[in-house]
This record gives sequence, structure tokens and C-alpha cells, in this order.
Amino acid sequence: MRTKLIIPAVIGFLALIALVQSMFMVDQTERAIVLELGKPVGDKPLEPGLHFKLPFVQNVVFFDSRILNYDAEPAEILTRDKKNMVVDNYTKWRITDPLLFYRTVRSIPRAQARLDDIIYSEIRVALGNYTLIEIVSGKRGQITQEVTTKSNALVSEYGIEVMDVRIKRTDLPAENARAIFGRMRAERERQAKQYRSEGQEESSKITALADRERTILQADARRQASVLRGEGEAEAIRLWADALGRDPEFYAFQRSLEAYEKSLKENSRLVLTPDSPFFKYLR
Amino acid sequence: MNWDWEKLQGQRRRQGYQPPEPGEIHDRLKRFSNLRFPGGGKLIILLLVVLWGLSGFYIVQPDERGVEKRFGKFTQITDPGPHIHWPFPIESVHKPKVSEIKRVEVGFRSVARNGTLQPGQYRLVPEESLMLTGDENIVDVQFIVQYQISDPVDYLFNVAEQENTVKYVAQATMREVVGNSVIDSALTTGKFVIQTQTRDLMQEVLDRYQAGVRVIAVQLQDVHPPKEVVDAFKDVASAREDKSRLINEAEAYRNDILPKARGQVAVIVNEAQAYKESQVLDARGGAEKFLAVLTEYRKAKDVTRQRMYLETMERIFSSSGLEKIILSSQTAGNVVPYLPLDKAAPRPKQDAAGGAGGKQ
Repeated sequence: MRTKLIIPAVIGFLALIALVQSMFMVDQTERAIVLELGKPVGDKPLEPGLHFKLPFVQNVVFFDSRILNYDAEPAEILTRDKKNMVVDNYTKWRITDPLLFYRTVRSIPRAQARLDDIIYSEIRVALGNYTLIEIVSGKRGQITQEVTTKSNALVSEYGIEVMDVRIKRTDLPAENARAIFGRMRAERERQAKQYRSEGQEESSKITALADRERTILQADARRQASVLRGEGEAEAIRLWADALGRDPEFYAFQRSLEAYEKSLKENSRLVLTPDSPFFKYLR
Repeated sequence: MNWDWEKLQGQRRRQGYQPPEPGEIHDRLKRFSNLRFPGGGKLIILLLVVLWGLSGFYIVQPDERGVEKRFGKFTQITDPGPHIHWPFPIESVHKPKVSEIKRVEVGFRSVARNGTLQPGQYRLVPEESLMLTGDENIVDVQFIVQYQISDPVDYLFNVAEQENTVKYVAQATMREVVGNSVIDSALTTGKFVIQTQTRDLMQEVLDRYQAGVRVIAVQLQDVHPPKEVVDAFKDVASAREDKSRLINEAEAYRNDILPKARGQVAVIVNEAQAYKESQVLDARGGAEKFLAVLTEYRKAKDVTRQRMYLETMERIFSSSGLEKIILSSQTAGNVVPYLPLDKAAPRPKQDAAGGAGGKQ
């Protein structure tokens, strides 16, 4: 009874192993190729889903069908204007032809090594054609586009596609950064000086204008004063002349008497003769 | 066991399944071979089948979507709620959180303490934040990117290293946008433009990758000059203050002297006006006095004239300080004019009075 049971059990067990061996799943993120003793079966990679193969003689190789990331080490490059620059780029790529990929590079790390060789040199060549400022602004998209296209031509024989090469960072080596900091500082110092001088300029303008206005105000005041004084004196002269013109002889007489009285006072010596009209009755 | 089995194991592990331990398999096989215990064995098998069937039951949370795969191939998306799929290994499910807003920090990292992010506490990452601007200056830019899964299928199956991809794209596009701006606008008014341009460009690149990601916002946290030059930048700000201070001081000076000057003008003009008025009034007074006297004088000309003459002479001659010498006309004609030079010179009053008195 025991041996009767063992034989079906062994057969069942072997059948199970054969079934497990002949079934496989390809995930949505993968493509697969089936190899029969090393020789690829079929000319198209297998799509996601359940698949069968012959057990023991066929095996399956899976490939990632997603867009893969390759982040290169930062590299120092020389621009057309002989400036050093540290460029850190990443590459988005994917396996387009698993069969070709399997034949040429086999694995992702080996593919990345190829990508590294190609993109490193392409970036170097491309960036060497531009000046630092073109790389930093304006031309960046064009440069990466150029690198993408050129790299693509070179990697197609590996069954892979470079989707996008993008410069993640563009840094300057420490000594160049120091030079830029120096220049930035000088630029700001120039600006600061300019602001202060402009302040002084404005200040001097305002002060001078105020001084000028004050001087003019004062001069105009003096002018007005002179005019007023002149008018006063002229009016006075006219009034006197009008009045005195009525009888100049009487004015002369009256004014002479006044003048004699004022001028002949102390410490004067008067020599008189009795002929004077004053002594008319003294004789 | 060959590599094919290992591959399957690895696949399960990636899908988040807890693979059955090798020991467990052995147990199952042992139970399978323990069929000779009828009754109890069948119960165990039934229980195992039920448990196996139940492994196809799953719940999608409100913030999730269920993405079902049959034998590894995507079949359908399920909405929140309870669902059943064919048990392992026929079907499996991913449950990405589609309404969660994910966040990428560039240029800094929030510091986590006791497992939670501490607001306001962060560590700087200068190699990420220092960027060249279009006018060959360097700015220090720290920013965050908020994004969401917009298409769970694309997100899960199209791009490897999804989070790194978002971060790399953020770094590359921000540098590109900052590289196209000048430092002054990046530091001041251009921030909003930089944010929107970076967001749009990021979305464009991610769409090209079919990453299934929607960029909600790019937000600049802090944009400032690098620490090496920050003093110079601050000095520019204080120079601007100095400028307005100097201008204000000058305006204060102007506001001080001009009213004073206008006051002086009023003084000068009023003094002159007063002089004018007084001249005219004095003259009018004198003239009117003269005319009044003249009127009366004309009525008795000779007598008045005589009276005025005599009264004036009387006042003159009665003055004690005046020395009077009277000579006859003949004598006067013979006298040699003698000028007392000692008296012509200025002398003290006392002596003059004494001298004069002696001669009288």
C-alpha cells in the first residue's frame, strides 16, 4: 500500500516541477525573451502576461521595459572660452530591442558603461563648442538635444534608445567660483558707491538750489527796498518843491534865520560893525 | 530549483508580496503527502483552499487606486472600496496613493526628529542650491516641488526610480530657468516667473517621459546671494538707504533756510516801506507848515519879517558861548586880520570858556 502511494506521489511531484518549469510571468514593467539552449526563440520579445516554454531546455531572460535612469559622475569639462566647468548630467534611456540588447551588452550595468563612454565624450565635444555663458543660459536645451541625438545614433546598435540627456548641475570649480564671487562683490561695491554718490549729488543739488533761492530772495528784497526808499524820497522832494515854490524868497529868508541860529552857537567869535542893521538903533 | 524560480521569487518580492518561506512549502508538501489521515487531512486542505481564495480580497483606501495585474499584465484600475482579484499567483494588485501630495526638497533637507519633520529646521545642501545665472553670477536657490500621481498606470510601469526622476528633472529645469534670468530679477521681482516657468518646463519633460506625474507647484523657499558675497549685497541696500538719507537731509536744510530768508525779505521790505511813508509824511508836514506860515506872512510882510529877524538875532546874541566883537567901520578897515590859531585847534571846553571870559 505504501509503495502504491509513493509512485503516484513521485509522478505527481515531477509533473508539478515540469509545470512550474514551463510556466512564467512577464510583469508589466518587463519584456522577456526565451532562449533554447542559448538560441533565441521567436523574433519578438514577449509582452507582459502568462507564457509557456519547454521545461529544462528553454530559459527566459527578463528585461526592464521602463525608462531607466543613468546618473553619471560629475565631470570637469573645458568650454570654448577656456573655462572649466563641472557638469553633472543624467540620462533617461530604455531598452528598445531586448534581443539586440541581449546579444550586444546583455546586462544593464554593462549598458550603462557603454552609455557612460558615449555620453561623456559627446557632452565634452558639445560643450567645447560653446562658451560658458551660452551653456548656462540660452543654448542649454539645444546642447542637450544635440547630445541626445548624437548619442542615439551611437547606441542604436545596442538595442537601446537615449530619450533625454539633461544637465542637472553646472558648477564652477572652486577657484572660478571665487573669481565670480570677487566680481560679484566688486559689482555690488560699485553699485553701493554709485548710490552714495547719487545721494551726495542730489543733496548738493538741493542745497545749492536752496542757497541760490535764498540769495535771490534777499537781493530782490533789497531791490524792492531801494525802490520804496526812492519813491519816498521823490515824493518828499516833490512835496517840498511844491510848497516852497510858492515863495522862494520867504523860504530863503526863513531858512537862513534858522541856519544862523543853529550854526552860531558856542565857541564862535563874531566881529560886527555898528553899520549892521541890528545896531540901527544903537547908534 | 533553477534561476527561473529565483526570478519569480524576486518578482513577487517587488510586488510587495510576502513570499512563502521555503519551510512553509515543505510543510504544505508534507501535509499533501499526509493524505493517509482521512477526515482531518481533508479539513486542512479545505481550510487552505479557503485561505488561498481569501488572499484575493483587498480594500482600496480613499486616497488610493487599485491597479490589478493578471500574470504580471496590467488589467484594470479599481476605485476605493472592497474588491476581489484572483488569488496569488494569478492576479496581484498595487495600491498607489493618488491623492497624496508628494514633496521634493532641493537645496535643503528638512530635519526629521522623532520621525516627524520639524518645520523651520533644515540642513542646507549648497551643491544643489548654488546656481549660475544668465549674467554669470551665482545665486543660492532653495525650492520645493509638490507633485501628485496623475496616472497610476504610467507612474507604476513607465519610469524607473520615479522619485529620483522628479528630483533630477526639478534640478535640471530650475537651473535652466535660473540660467536664463539675471541675478537682480532672480533675487527680487522675477521669482514668480521663475516658479511658473520651472513648473511648466518640469511638466513638459515629465510628460515626455510619460511619468504619470502632475507637478502642482514649484515654490522658491529662499533665494539669496551666496554667503561669500552677501555682505556686499547688504551694503548695497544700506547704500540705497544712505542715498535717501542724504536727500532728506538736504531737503531739511532747504526747508530750514528758505522760510528764514522769506522772513528776512519781509523785514527789509517793510523797513523800506516805513522809510518811504515817513519821508513822504515828514515832507508833507514840513510843506504844510511852511504854507501855513506863508499865508500869515503875506498878510503883514514887513512887520513879520522885521519881527522874525530881530527875534532870531536876539536868540543868537543872547547865547553866552558866542564871543562878540564890535568894531567901527573905519577901525575894521584898518585892522590886520588876526586868526587865533591856538583857538582854531580843538581844545578842552573849560579852557575855551575861560579864555573867552577873559577877553570879555
